[in-house]
Amino acid sequence: MPRASFPDLSKASKLKDLMFLCGGTNINWITAALRTVGSKHLQHITIRLHTATLRGTTEEMDHREWQDLDRLLVQFWTSHSIRPRLVHSPNSVGRNVRDRAPSFLPELTRRGLVDMVEHSPPLSLRLRRGWLFSLCMGPLFKLHLFV
Amino acid sequence: MSCTLPPEILDLIVDQLHDEPTTLEACCLVSKSWIPRTRRHLFARVGFDAIEYPIESWMETFPDPSNSPAHYTSSLSIRNPQVVTATNADVANWTGTFHNLVHLHLEDCGWANHQALPAPFFGFSPTVRSLRLTSTSFEVFDFVCSFPLLEDLALADLHPEGDTAVRSAPPTSPKLTGSLGLDARRGIRAATRRLLDFPNGLHFAKITVSCLGEDLESATDLVSTCSSTLESLNISCFLRGVFHSTSLIGRYLTTPRERSHA
Repeated sequence: MPRASFPDLSKASKLKDLMFLCGGTNINWITAALRTVGSKHLQHITIRLHTATLRGTTEEMDHREWQDLDRLLVQFWTSHSIRPRLVHSPNSVGRNVRDRAPSFLPELTRRGLVDMVEHSPPLSLRLRRGWLFSLCMGPLFKLHLFV
Repeated sequence: MSCTLPPEILDLIVDQLHDEPTTLEACCLVSKSWIPRTRRHLFARVGFDAIEYPIESWMETFPDPSNSPAHYTSSLSIRNPQVVTATNADVANWTGTFHNLVHLHLEDCGWANHQALPAPFFGFSPTVRSLRLTSTSFEVFDFVCSFPLLEDLALADLHPEGDTAVRSAPPTSPKLTGSLGLDARRGIRAATRRLLDFPNGLHFAKITVSCLGEDLESATDLVSTCSSTLESLNISCFLRGVFHSTSLIGRYLTTPRERSHA
């Protein structure tokens, strides 16, 4: 039997928290995983938004994928009263992602069923392990690519 | 007129200072009766570094294991344990003093040179319940199995190339009922395979995985194995080019025990 390319959560009956981060344009695996949720204890669904996730959302296929996810998350609200959280970074890239949310999750945002949350690691960690360095290198890397 | 505080009141006062090391150091010098309680907080978290805080200097400062404050330590962090220059016997004596250790973090465990951890580090302290290893090679799985009470495991920067030899599954493994953190920018397939080979199975309640898109199946296997105990799942899946800049998140994988210490 071929292995599933998405987490099968049908037997995870104690599941309370789910968090996904997609660093690519394919979000089908998130939708597929959410469809398998069998837990009656699920309380939180968090999706961390990454710029790479939204890079191709102008294409029709990607729009359809996001619409599927949008519909599914609305269903989770109606059936389980779960308000999904969309987490983005507090920098300008993250805010850009947040501003584009209504275009890729239209129903969810129109009905006000989603919590947008800014998140960054604690400052102590960022300083200790060069997080600031990586924050600086991100834009520099992009600049290098576009020049 | 002498005035002595009841010891339990003194303990309460010192406990209030648990996150003020400078004040605790001052308290430690007040009187001999103040020493045990202040040491309990001062040495709760200990870290060694090959250059700044070498293990050898601890051994020189506390040559007698019976007087060592190591038994107050619940969280120990060692960076680059391979550079320990003391003999194995000395290190074995030293590790034996940390008999109340709950959390152990070994960083830069020498994967680049495929160095194995020195033998005395195996089974460091039987009370360890939370283990975090960064930049390590595949010797790590035998090491993990040397902690019988281990519940939480975090592995970051695991190097798969070192695992060319066919290895047999370890004869026994800990119950692993807490959290698993796995962040391997070079792939998690081999690591997952080794974990799934653990004879006592995996029973994690929380799984946090950062992986490449092509490794999603491996993450799926982990989830399936732990599905009866799983309460929290966090999967970050990246394209190969995107992974490097964002996977630093994985370097901060912390276990619940570590967070409760912080």
